[in-house]
Amino acid sequence: MNHWTTKAFLLVVALLCGCELIVRVCFARSMSGRFEYGYNPASGFREKTDGTVHLVRAGGRRFHPQSFARKRPDGVFRIMVIGDSVPRGPSLQRAYAHRVGELLRAQGAQAESFNLAVPGYGARRNQIVLRQALKYQPSLIILHLNGSNEFEDERDWQRAREFQSWHPRNWPMKSLLLRRLHEMKTERLFWRWLPQEIRSEGAANDAGDEIAAAHDPEKTRRWKDLVHKKTAEDVALARQAQVPLLLLTQARCERRPEGSAVLDDHGLDSMARSLAGETVSHLSMKEVLAGTDPEKLFADGSHLRDEGHDWLARAIVAKLRREGLIRSAQ
Amino acid sequence: MSFTSWQYGFFLPLVMALYWALPWRGRIGLLLVSSYIFYGVWDVRFLSLLLTSTAIDYFCGRAIAHQRVALKYVLLAASLPVAWLVGCKLWPGRGEAVTGWIVGAGAAFPILFVTLYAMLWRLPEGRQRHAFLILSIVNNLVVLGFFKYFSFFAASALAGLARLGWQPGWTLPHIILPVAISFYTFQSIAYAVDIYRGKVQPERDYVTFAAYLSFFPQLVAGPIERPAHLLPQFQKPAVWNVEHLHAGSRLILMGLFKKVFVADNCALLDNYAFDPKTVLNAPWAILGVVAFAVQIYGDFSGYTDIARGSARLLGIELMPNFRFPYLARGPSEFWQRWHITLSSWFRDYVYIPLGGNRGGLGATLRNLWITMLLAGLWHGANWTFVLWGAYHAALLAMYRVVPGLRRLEEGQAGFNPRTLFAIALMSAFTLGGWAIFRCASLSHLGAWLTALTRWNAADGLDWTRPGLWLLLHGGILFLLQWVARKSLDEAEVAHVPWVARGIIYTLLLLGIASSVTMDQEFIYFQF
Repeated sequence: MNHWTTKAFLLVVALLCGCELIVRVCFARSMSGRFEYGYNPASGFREKTDGTVHLVRAGGRRFHPQSFARKRPDGVFRIMVIGDSVPRGPSLQRAYAHRVGELLRAQGAQAESFNLAVPGYGARRNQIVLRQALKYQPSLIILHLNGSNEFEDERDWQRAREFQSWHPRNWPMKSLLLRRLHEMKTERLFWRWLPQEIRSEGAANDAGDEIAAAHDPEKTRRWKDLVHKKTAEDVALARQAQVPLLLLTQARCERRPEGSAVLDDHGLDSMARSLAGETVSHLSMKEVLAGTDPEKLFADGSHLRDEGHDWLARAIVAKLRREGLIRSAQ
Repeated sequence: MSFTSWQYGFFLPLVMALYWALPWRGRIGLLLVSSYIFYGVWDVRFLSLLLTSTAIDYFCGRAIAHQRVALKYVLLAASLPVAWLVGCKLWPGRGEAVTGWIVGAGAAFPILFVTLYAMLWRLPEGRQRHAFLILSIVNNLVVLGFFKYFSFFAASALAGLARLGWQPGWTLPHIILPVAISFYTFQSIAYAVDIYRGKVQPERDYVTFAAYLSFFPQLVAGPIERPAHLLPQFQKPAVWNVEHLHAGSRLILMGLFKKVFVADNCALLDNYAFDPKTVLNAPWAILGVVAFAVQIYGDFSGYTDIARGSARLLGIELMPNFRFPYLARGPSEFWQRWHITLSSWFRDYVYIPLGGNRGGLGATLRNLWITMLLAGLWHGANWTFVLWGAYHAALLAMYRVVPGLRRLEEGQAGFNPRTLFAIALMSAFTLGGWAIFRCASLSHLGAWLTALTRWNAADGLDWTRPGLWLLLHGGILFLLQWVARKSLDEAEVAHVPWVARGIIYTLLLLGIASSVTMDQEFIYFQF
C-alpha cells in the first residue's frame, strides 16, 4: 500500500461531492433552518408551487401548522396575528387569532385569520415575520407587543450571527448536504420521535442568566428601547405597505404583596399610544380586561386561559367594528 | 482536550505533521510537550501529579533493575512538580486555584522522595528491589486513593458514625478527581511490576519515559498499555508508512461514529430514564438500560478507536480494548471482550498474584470476588460500583459452579440455538449489571427495580417512538459489527470490497454529521 489515496477514499469524496452538488441545486431554496434561529426572512414560511403558503417550524420553534393562498381571495378580510406564546395560545383553535375569525364570520363577514405567533419571539423576530406577512396581502396585521422575550431574542440573535461566522465549530454545517441532513434528522426524527421530557433533558438551561438579565436595569432599559425602536419600524413598514396595523399591548397579571392580582402593562401602553395614528390603532389588554377577575382569565403571569382568549377576541372584533376597519373591507 | 472537540481537529494533524517532519529525538520531545498540552487543557494544576508519578516510577523502575541514579538528578526531577505548581500560582488568573497547602505538599515531595530513595539504597541488596517496587506501588495507590476515594470513604465513615449517634461536625475538603489518574497510575504500576518480574528493562531516558507515561491518545481513558507493548515503540524510530495514515483515519472515523452518532443519541434516552426525578414504568426501565448498554459501548469503544487511530497516525499501535463484547456467552468471555486492557490488568496484577485458580474452588472464588470488587471500585467511588463488581463476581462464580451455565459458556461457538441462547442469557445478565452501574445510588437502583413491576403504560411516557430512536442508532452499530465480524479488529471493515467500504465510510460520515452538535462528555473520563 504505497498510494496516498485508496479507491474507497476516492469513492467517499466522489459521493460526498456529488450529494453536495445535488443538494445545492435541488434543495437550496427550502433552506430556512434551525441554525438561523428564526432570523431568516422565510423562516417557517414554505411557499408551494400551487400558490399556497404553509406555516411550519421556524428555527426550532413552530408556527401552528396552517396554510393559505399567497394571494388574498377577493373580498376576504385577511387578518394575521404576529407575536409570541401569548397570542399563539394553547392551540390554534383556542387562541384569540382563530376566535376573531370565527366571530367575524358568525357576524356575516367574509374573513380569515391566521396565527403567525411563535413562542419566544421578541421585537426583532416579530419584525422578520411582519416583513414576510406583508407579502401575503393582509387586510389587517395585529402585532401583539410583549416586552418579555428580548432575552431570548437577543440570545438567538447572537447564536444566529455566531453561526454565520467561520469559526471551526461551524465548518461542518457550511456544507449544505450536512446541514440539510442534520436539520432533516432533527425535524423528522428528533422532534417527532422523542417526547418533550427527553428533548428538554439535553437542552441548555439558561433560566438563571435570563433572571439575572431581567434584574439588570441597564439591560431592561436597552430592551425597552429596542422594543420601541423595532415597533416604530414595524409601524413604518405597515404604513409603507398600506396595511392597517393594530398594536395590541400585553398586560401581565401580577400579584400584590397583600395577595390581590393586578394588571400591569410595563409601559407598553404609552409606547403604543405614541405610535398610533393613521392606519395604526392601539388596543390595550390592560384596558380591555379592566374590571375582570384576572385570575380567571390568566393561566399564569402572561398566558391567557380560553376565557381570556375569548374576551380578547371579542374586544378586537368590537374595535374593528368601531374603527370601521372590517366594514371597509367588505 | 476532548477527542470530539474542534480543537482536537487541529491539534492532531499539527502534531502528526510535526512528528513526521522531526528527527527521532525531536519526536519524543514533541510527544511529551503535546501530551502535556493535551492534558493541561483540562486543568494545568494536575500536571504536577503526572510529573510526580513520572519521577517516582522512573527512579523506582531503574532502582528495581539495580540502576542507581545520582541524588542530584533525583532531586531535580522530583522538584519539577513543585516548580510547576509555583508557576501555576504565579500565572495571572490561576493563582487562586493553587492554595498554599498544595504548594506546601509539592515542596515536601522532593525532600521526602530523595530521603526515601537514599534510605532504600542502604537496605541489604536482596531487599532493595522489593522495597522500590513497594514504594512505586504504594505511591501510585496513595495518590489514586486520596484523590478518588478519600471523600467517598470519609463521607461513608461519617455517615456510619452519625448512625451510631456521634456527629463530629467535620467538614470534608472538596477534592477534585484529576482526569486520567485511574489510567496512568495503573500503567505506572504495570511498569514497575513488569520490571520487577524481569519482563521489561527500565527506560533510561527520562524524557522518553515521561512521553511514554503521558502519551496523549491513551492518557485519559486508556487503553491501559503494558510496557512490553508500548515502551519499545518509544525506543525505536517509527518508519513512515502511508498505511499509518489510512488505518489511523479509519479508526478515528469509526470511533467518531460510535461516539457522536451512536452513544450521544442513545444518551438522550438513558439520561431521561436514569434521571432520579423520572417516574419510570417497566418498558422505560428496560428501554433505558438497553440504551445505556449501547451508549456505554459506543462511547468507550468509540473513545478507544479514536485513541488507537490517533496513535496510529504517529506510527504507534495501541492494544485493542473491545472485541464484540455483547456476543459473549458468559461472564469470563465478556471480560475477555470488554475493556480488555483493564480486565487483563486485574488478571495479571491482582488475580494471579492472589493465587488465581491454583488453590482449589474456594480459593479461586475468593480471588475472583476480591478482584471483581476492586475492579468495581476502580470505576468510581460509589457503592453502586462496588455492587456492580460484586454482581459480576457473583456471575463469574455462578458460571464456574453451575455445570449447565459453564457448558453454555464453553460450548462450541457458532451460529446455533445453544450459542444464541447463551448470548441472550449473558446479555440479560449484562443489562442487569449496567442498571446497577448507571444508577446514581442504591436507593435509585431500588426505584429502577420497582419500576420493572409497573407494566401499566399509563404510568409513563410512550416508549415506542423512543424505541425506534434506539433501534436506529444502536441497530446501525450492530449492523456494522455484523459486517466486521470476520475481521480481527471489530473497528475494521477493511476486508469488504472497496465499493462497499466507500459507501460504508460515506454513511458513517453522514451519520456523524447528522448528530454533530450533540455534546456529551466521554463516560470513562470520570473514572
